Amino acid sequence: MFSLFNDMSSKTISLLIILAGIAVSGLIFFSDFGNKEGEGVVPQKNNVYIQDGKQIIQITAKGGFEPASTIAKAGVPTTLRITTEGTFDCSSVISIPELKIRQNLPSSGTTDIDLGVRPAGVLDGTCGMGMYPFTIEFK
Amino acid sequence: MTESKKQIHNFHVNGMHCKSCVLVTEHTLDEIPNLSDVKVNGHKQTVSFRGDFGEKTEEEVASELTKILSKKGYTLSVEKKNLNKNWEEFWIAGPLAVLFVLFFVLLQKMGLVNLMNTNEMNIFTPLLIGIVASVSSCMAVVGGLVLSMSATFAKEGEKVRPQVLFHVGRIVSFFLLGGMIGAIGSAFQLNAFGTFSLSFLVGIVMLIMGINLLDVFHGVKRFQLAMPKFLSKQALKTSDMAHTITPLLVGVATFFLPCGFTQSMQMYALSTGDFMKGGITMLAFALGTFPALAVLSFSGIGLAEGRNKGVFFKTAGIVVIAFALFNIINSFVAIGLIKNVFSF
Repeated sequence: MFSLFNDMSSKTISLLIILAGIAVSGLIFFSDFGNKEGEGVVPQKNNVYIQDGKQIIQITAKGGFEPASTIAKAGVPTTLRITTEGTFDCSSVISIPELKIRQNLPSSGTTDIDLGVRPAGVLDGTCGMGMYPFTIEFK
Repeated sequence: MTESKKQIHNFHVNGMHCKSCVLVTEHTLDEIPNLSDVKVNGHKQTVSFRGDFGEKTEEEVASELTKILSKKGYTLSVEKKNLNKNWEEFWIAGPLAVLFVLFFVLLQKMGLVNLMNTNEMNIFTPLLIGIVASVSSCMAVVGGLVLSMSATFAKEGEKVRPQVLFHVGRIVSFFLLGGMIGAIGSAFQLNAFGTFSLSFLVGIVMLIMGINLLDVFHGVKRFQLAMPKFLSKQALKTSDMAHTITPLLVGVATFFLPCGFTQSMQMYALSTGDFMKGGITMLAFALGTFPALAVLSFSGIGLAEGRNKGVFFKTAGIVVIAFALFNIINSFVAIGLIKNVFSF
C-alpha cells in the first residue's frame, strides 16, 4: 500500500510538471511576456518620417524586428528602411508574403525596400523562418 | 530427413519496428541450416518456418533462436509480449520532454543574439555565430532532424557510426559548398515556395520519425521512410551502404535547411569571392554548431540500451514531435498562409 501511495504521488508530480511546463511555455510563446519593449500597449514609437516626399518606416532587424508594430499613413508612397547591426540570425532574411518580398539583408547596414502606395490595412512581415513577426498598420 | 517431415513452427517476434527489421530477421533465420521456409509477417509481428528440433519444447526453441537474433536486436517468444508497460514510461518522458522544450523556449526569449556585437568579421566570427546558432531557434530545424535521425538509428542498434557519418558529411560539405559559393559568387538560394516546401517536408518527416520513436502507434510504422521491399531484398546485401549513405546525405542536406544563421553566413561567403575564404567561413560556422549538435546526436549512446531506453526514446520522440510541429507551423507563417503564431 505504501508503494501505491508513492506511485500515485510521483504520477501527480509528473502531471503537475507537464501541465506547468506547457502553461509556462504557452505564456512565453504566445504572449508578449518577455518581449523587448511591450509593443501594443506602449504608445507608438516615432519610427515613421517623411523624406523627399516619401514616407519612410524605420525598422531595426536584429534578433527580431524593432519596433514590432508600426502605424503609418495609407495612400502615400512608402519605403521600408531596415537597419541591421551585426545581424546573422533569422531577421537577416526579411519576408513580406503579401508583396512577394523575400530578401537577404546584409549583416550590417541599411536597406531600402519600396512598398509602393499602400491602402488602409495591416501588412504582415516575418523573418525568413517565420518566427519573428512585425506588422505595419496603414491608416 | 525430408522437408515434409519438418514441423512448422510459429513464434512472435519482438523488436521489429521497421521494414528493414523484417528483412534482417528473415535473412538471419534463413542462414540457419536447420530452418527453411522462413516467413516473417511484419504486420502481425510473427514468424513461421520449418525445422526439426528433436525433443525440444517451443520455449527452448524460442530461446535458442533468440540467442542468434538478439545480436540484431530481436527476440522470439511463444507468447505475445505484453506491451502495457510502455504507457507508464510517458509519466517520466512527458515532464522530461516538457522541461527540455521549456529550456529551449527560455533560451530564445533570452535573446542571445543581442549579446553578439560583431560589426567586423574575423576568423572567429563565423565560429561564434555557429555556437549561437546551435542554441537558437535553428535548433528546432537542424537539431530536431539530428535528434530524430540519431535516435531512430540508435533504435536499430547503430549508435555511433551513422552519427559520425552525419557530422563528417555536414562539416565537409559546409566547407566544400561554402567554397563553391565563394568561388561562383552566387548562393544556392531557394525562393519563398522552395523554402516553404523544404521546411514543410522536413517537418513532416520529423513528425513521422518522432511518432515512431514513441513506439505507440504501430500502424504509423508503415509510413516510415523505407525502400520498397523488392528493392530492399537486394539492398540487404548492401545494407551497410544504405546505413552509410543516408546519414552522410542528411548531413549534406542540412546546408540547405532554412536557418537564418546558415543563410546569412552563406551570404557572407558569397561576398568573399574566394573559394578558400568562403569555404573556411562555412567550415568555422559548422564547427561552431558541432558541440550542440553532437550532444543531441550522441545522447543515444548509453541511453539507447539499458533499463531506461524506453524513457529515452519517448522523451526524444516527444521533443522531435514538438520541433516538427514548430517547423510546420512556421513554414506556413513564412509563406503567409497563416498569421504569425510564435513570437519570440
